[in-house]
Amino acid sequence: MRIRPLVAVTCALAISMLSGCKSLPGYPGPAWQPPQDQMNFHALYKTNCAACHGATGQDGTAVPLANPEYLALVDDATLRKVISDGMPGTMMPAFAENDGGTLTDKQVDAIIAGMRKAWSQPNPFGGMTPPAYAQPATGGNPQQGRQDYITYCESCHESAHDSVTNPTYLALVSDQTLRTIIIAGRPDLKQPDWRNDQAGHPLTDQEVTDIVSYLGSLRVASPGQPYPSHP
Amino acid sequence: MRGLNELKKVYDWFEMRIGFEKPVKEAAMHPVPKNTASWWYVFGSAAFTLLMLQVFTGILLALVYVPSAGQAWQSLNFLNHNLPLGWYIRAVHGWGSNFMVAVVLIHMAQVFLFGAYKYPRELTWMVGVLLLLLTLGMAFTGQVMRFDQDAYWGLGIGAMITSRMPFIGGQLVHLLLGGPIIGGATLSHFFALHVFIIPAALLGLAGLHVWMVLRLGINEWPMPGRAVKRETYLEEYHKLTHEDGVPFVPVALWKDIVFSSGIILAVLVCAAIFGPHGPTGMPNPTYIHTDPKPDFFFLWIYTSLAFLPPWMETPLLIIGPPIVILALLGFPLLASEGEKSWHRRPVAVLVVMILAVGWGALTDLGTYTPWSPHMDAWSSDTIAPKQVEAMSPLERQGAVVFQDKQCRNCHQVDGHGGMRGPALDDVATTLTRDQLIRQVLQGGGNMPAYGKNLSPAEVDALVDYLETLHKTGQKPAVDEATQWTNQAAKTLPAPPVPPIGNAGNAMTEQQLQAEQSAPMQTPAKAPASATTTQAQTKTQAKTHHAVAMNMAPGA
Amino acid sequence: MTEETNMQSEHSGNLEHAHEQPGGMTKAEISRRWLLMKIGIAFNGIVGLALAVPIVGYLLGPAKKDSYYKSWVSLGDIEKYPVGTTRLATYVNPWRSPTDGQTDDIACWVRRTGQQQFTVFAINCAHLGCPVRWFPQSQLFMCPCHGGVYYANGTVAAGPPPRGLFKYKNQIVNGELQIFAGQMPTLSNTAKLVTTIGPCKGDSPCAG
Repeated sequence: MRIRPLVAVTCALAISMLSGCKSLPGYPGPAWQPPQDQMNFHALYKTNCAACHGATGQDGTAVPLANPEYLALVDDATLRKVISDGMPGTMMPAFAENDGGTLTDKQVDAIIAGMRKAWSQPNPFGGMTPPAYAQPATGGNPQQGRQDYITYCESCHESAHDSVTNPTYLALVSDQTLRTIIIAGRPDLKQPDWRNDQAGHPLTDQEVTDIVSYLGSLRVASPGQPYPSHP
Repeated sequence: MRGLNELKKVYDWFEMRIGFEKPVKEAAMHPVPKNTASWWYVFGSAAFTLLMLQVFTGILLALVYVPSAGQAWQSLNFLNHNLPLGWYIRAVHGWGSNFMVAVVLIHMAQVFLFGAYKYPRELTWMVGVLLLLLTLGMAFTGQVMRFDQDAYWGLGIGAMITSRMPFIGGQLVHLLLGGPIIGGATLSHFFALHVFIIPAALLGLAGLHVWMVLRLGINEWPMPGRAVKRETYLEEYHKLTHEDGVPFVPVALWKDIVFSSGIILAVLVCAAIFGPHGPTGMPNPTYIHTDPKPDFFFLWIYTSLAFLPPWMETPLLIIGPPIVILALLGFPLLASEGEKSWHRRPVAVLVVMILAVGWGALTDLGTYTPWSPHMDAWSSDTIAPKQVEAMSPLERQGAVVFQDKQCRNCHQVDGHGGMRGPALDDVATTLTRDQLIRQVLQGGGNMPAYGKNLSPAEVDALVDYLETLHKTGQKPAVDEATQWTNQAAKTLPAPPVPPIGNAGNAMTEQQLQAEQSAPMQTPAKAPASATTTQAQTKTQAKTHHAVAMNMAPGA
Repeated sequence: MTEETNMQSEHSGNLEHAHEQPGGMTKAEISRRWLLMKIGIAFNGIVGLALAVPIVGYLLGPAKKDSYYKSWVSLGDIEKYPVGTTRLATYVNPWRSPTDGQTDDIACWVRRTGQQQFTVFAINCAHLGCPVRWFPQSQLFMCPCHGGVYYANGTVAAGPPPRGLFKYKNQIVNGELQIFAGQMPTLSNTAKLVTTIGPCKGDSPCAG
């Protein structure tokens, strides 16, 4: 009568021993893999992107990536170029191995695919056609842009705290970043996309171009000098 | 009955030829002082039991392990994953090692506090010191056997320490590594040490140690007032054991046996729950994304190396260990007589306590290495969404500068980031804007100067961001001149004073608010952070002065 | 050495023994026995020496001069390293043994400051040899072990390192960058010529 549980325990022990006791808490996890074999999107995103773009792709200090409109606006080639080589005129660094970073081309592709899978949504523009992604090098009219800025933007960006016309700010962001934010908005900060800057009037491609070239024209030669009056 | 008789015959046949019975009986039944049959006297036998466990599991591992730099790591992973229970034997060997070092240290402290090293047991203590060194040697070479990134760079640290030896350092490094780099010969060297040389010495000296314990008798329980005298001790001890003694078996031994098996059970349980240690990354020196760390019992050295001033390192590393070893070996000769009881030896108790607390503190620091930059913090540690939401566009760019320029690798915000420099959660209340700019540009207090690597716009944005870092309700630090200027601006309606910095509007508003609520705000407090140097404080004073000079005429 | 000492102690032990029980032996016998014993010891001493010389030679084998291990190694086409950048490069150590596995693959940092100007830094921190990592954004090398930080030119920016990063001698041959390498850089094989904190100067023997 007493022997039965003993036999049972012994059998259980013997079976678990024969199977290598893999269910014990001490059983070692998977063997180490070289960092360039890491293909898990979430791990890659956490290590490389989260600091600026936010833990969940939003609420970060840089452009939110978990914005379906943004993801629909940029194509894979652009994303690949930005991640691999960095974004000129901004602080987005180059992550590709052959550009001084640490990621392989396959890992960059894994990040792009992971972003699209995690954060894309069908029909993000509600059937409307957004302005083109790329800011044209020429063709912007700063004077017209100023008018448009006053019409569409200033109501929110009037105070010193919310200023985007500050030359120091403009020195740290590129025209393309300004354009991307104007078009796709920052939904995580409740800031509108191009359709909702003014109710019922989506910005046209030309208006966006003009506003960006107006903001670009505000850049100064030596921004951020703490004592401009004491050179 | 007939069977038993037959057995006895066989026993006698062997006994007649070997003759162990008499000495074993004598050793077992020798009288020991009554009060040494105590739980305090079990650590030595436990250490020996653990040594046996280590020998046994070590041989088991050697059945599979390949001591080759090209294959050791793979054979460890094979043990972990492909061989049933290979992981468990690794875990038992690893945890056995931890327990052995711990038990040896406890045994040593106990012997020291009980005065057991005094006449006539000085040599027993010295052999014990050698045993401790050999045990630590086993622990270190064992860490090398686990030939992973930690082992590889740990060897590098060993080589760099060796290289500090004057004149012969370079040659010593070659001898230690068995060549110019850490490679195949290095692992083979350490394998020979770990498997042949040190174990042989360890077993031989452990035998001698036990022999001397049997020969000289177990140290009696120390009584305050019963001082050791060379002339009378042996006689006193003889009296103690023969008039008031008990036979070693079974009165004292049963506690040894129970404790030893308890320790082995603890090793087995730890091995089952926590598993084997590593191996971490492959020992390929081109994988530089690694954060090498020594095993637990060497963390205190790792910590010390982070805190020693550079000029002190070489002398201490070269001269320190021999002095410590000589002191440990030699002090029983200097203090071979006198009181044994810890009640009458306050200095000894104090020394043990200081060493224990110091060791504990250094080891604790070693577990989270606050002096190491967090290499991935700049790209992985986030800023709280609430803060991001409250920031101005410029401050957000400043936060990007903060991340992008790897400030976070050394500075914590929100409890995330490196701990090399001070946490910056309330930096705005300890440094004024000018002080922040100066600190960023010129560095100092163990911070690199970022002057060349930041554009003025980046500095401006960064400092704007840093000025948002204060607890709600606290006010940013303001230097006296600005404070005075703001007050003047408030009392004299015209003309407005030009603000400091062209982007400083928001800041000036904040200051004005600060003024309204606290007109007598104290000037910038001296930062209480660890990196603040005197030089910095001086510079602060200068900055104050300079700003005051600048602003006075304007107002 | 040990053998000889053993012999000596045995010798003196026997001597004591002889003194204790001298009875029954004539003086001539003793001296003859002892002569044979002495011959035996001398013979052992010679054999011991003959054994010791190759053993010591074998053990001291790796302790060679630095130049023995070093030679010029190629880091590849110089165009792999854009001007104004610092990039990770790897090479196979020129001195190797068949059981080295991957430990022969050594990394280093190549900094190109001009068309023909290169500085090649060892991966090992000058403090305790841990692998330093380059951060192009802040233009700093950081060490994960004890927080050593270096500027782009290898000078110490912060932390405990007693000197700047180790540098390899380099040359450009037929458009290929070559470095003079072969051994782990340590303070003793590089630093003794560099007394001040800072990079090694000119063409003084540097890392490797």
